[in-house]
Amino acid sequence: MGNITLSKVTKSFGDVQVIPPLDLDIREGEFVVFVGPSGCGKSTLLRLIAGLEDVTSGEIRIDDRNATELPPAKRGLAMVFQSYALYPHMSVRKNIAFPLRMAGLDKAEQDRKVEAAAKVLNLTDYLDRRPGQLSGGQRQRVAIGRAIVREPAAFLFDEPLSNLDAALRVGMRLEISELHERLKTTMIYVTHDQVEAMTMADKIVVLRAGNIEQVGSPLELYHKPRNLFVAGFIGSPKMNLISGAEAAKHDAKHIGIRPEHLKASKESGVWKGRVGVSEHLGSDTFIHVHDTGLAVGEEDMVTVRCDGEMDARHGDTIWLTPDMERLHRFDDKGLRIT
Amino acid sequence: MATQHSRAAARLMISPAVLLLLAWMIVPLAMTLYFSTLRYNLLMPGANPFVGWENYHYFLTDPAFTTALVNTLLLVGGVLVITVVGGILLGLLLDQPFWGQGIVRILVIAPFFVMPTVSALVWKNMFMNPVNGLFAYLFKAVGLQPFDFLAQAPLASIILIVSWQWLPFATLILLTALQSLDSEQLEAAEMDGAGFFSKFFFIMLPHLARAITVVILIQTIFLLSIFAEILVTTNGGPGLASTNLTYLVYAQSLLQFDVGLGSAGGIVAVILANIVAIFLMRMIGKNLDA
Repeated sequence: MGNITLSKVTKSFGDVQVIPPLDLDIREGEFVVFVGPSGCGKSTLLRLIAGLEDVTSGEIRIDDRNATELPPAKRGLAMVFQSYALYPHMSVRKNIAFPLRMAGLDKAEQDRKVEAAAKVLNLTDYLDRRPGQLSGGQRQRVAIGRAIVREPAAFLFDEPLSNLDAALRVGMRLEISELHERLKTTMIYVTHDQVEAMTMADKIVVLRAGNIEQVGSPLELYHKPRNLFVAGFIGSPKMNLISGAEAAKHDAKHIGIRPEHLKASKESGVWKGRVGVSEHLGSDTFIHVHDTGLAVGEEDMVTVRCDGEMDARHGDTIWLTPDMERLHRFDDKGLRIT
Repeated sequence: MATQHSRAAARLMISPAVLLLLAWMIVPLAMTLYFSTLRYNLLMPGANPFVGWENYHYFLTDPAFTTALVNTLLLVGGVLVITVVGGILLGLLLDQPFWGQGIVRILVIAPFFVMPTVSALVWKNMFMNPVNGLFAYLFKAVGLQPFDFLAQAPLASIILIVSWQWLPFATLILLTALQSLDSEQLEAAEMDGAGFFSKFFFIMLPHLARAITVVILIQTIFLLSIFAEILVTTNGGPGLASTNLTYLVYAQSLLQFDVGLGSAGGIVAVILANIVAIFLMRMIGKNLDA
């Protein structure tokens, strides 16, 4: 179980409408990521689904049951918060058992489920510690444990990795993905980090100002961004967006080319520019190229990905050649031209 | 913190304050100890001979002592219960968003600014007076015989007055503690299926434990030495019904002019206060570390 359907859901705080009418269908077992810049309403949307905020209008259905008016506890969803929201005065065991205790399960049953969850999450040795004595990653796992024991219809994650350091974040990302593979439960995951979205999701929902800009699989979004916003948001480093005369040559208002689909050369190419900062990552080098005359955004800069061995000094002249097959074209409304 | 060097420096730098505090405390304490061993009565001028434990013997075997001790504990305990429970309830109420919140919060603190003598007199004359008081008026309005609070329930009345004074303090500290509770914890509990009472007992109350400890410790220190409220309302009476230890010491040394006996009483009170303090620290002090 774990179908969630939102139809014409809106949310206003006072006079400000943060979510304009929105429809969304989440199927059982999917890993759905809500992604967007801060303030785009992705957390609000998650809280609406969780029931922590009331919808202003519209309907939320969970497993074909109208859940719009249901209190959070009755929706059968479990949430992992950004701050983990562990209960600091309770041991890990009691934290994980809390939802079971509230549900009135008997003690033996509670213990059995807590032990099982702890085993899945490698927490067995820490069951009698307090959250304050655990590391960030362990706290994160306790929070997930507290969600698992309820056997919810869907898990909701609200930026769960943003408080972890970079190395741990990669590890936890894998663990959550593994968990999803094992449990096959619907998961809804909110993040502002498009890398997390791309790596974890079955389906990405890109949000801007409460509007859904595009829904699709990670590769769909990468290869066929529906509009300029999605094109600029998905992909790292960002897609180079070019407008003006160069775009007009391709019968478009704007054209976009990803850094990895540009070829850099010291001798010849289509566009000429001057090398700015080079970022050496070892495997790749990202070169910021200036003065291309392409009128790229406001700072007239194109990013190109080249081989890690590429030797380019600040101020050198460089030639760029786009891969025409991978060129994205957008019309004057910012929509993709196919 | 740090190297041996910085620890030594820290000790050196706090030493003037510590020495001053010690002198401030030790000189009066030593003098009281000294007086408590003398037969020193202002009505009998002349030699003040050393009498050893005699004053202590008189003070401790005086039937008034046991009464005063019980009254002191009842007073402290009663006020603590009322202020902590009331403070939590008021804190919960004031934590809700409502119109005029800022003004209401200031009004809630107001009783704390009224000096004890004034508030006790206001209670005595304007509320509890059996002829002119507001309570008497209310009793009469529903056809009941007015109740003479200070004559018939003196200790309870004083507990009421003192509680009114200390409730704002407790409310304020507990309210700020409630506001510091992470709202995500409450939301998590809500998602976990906790109702209001479960949230209160499992999440809020444990979060408040430290603040409650602070309230109890600070209030106990002040409540053990309640004096002005008793002086202006009941004068410790009727009989000894509202005499606490502080008031008993006052009665011995200043009403009966027996400095020696009063000093002995003072020392006894100091020892008792320390015993209470040790118990409190043992019981709830562990909440303060961690």
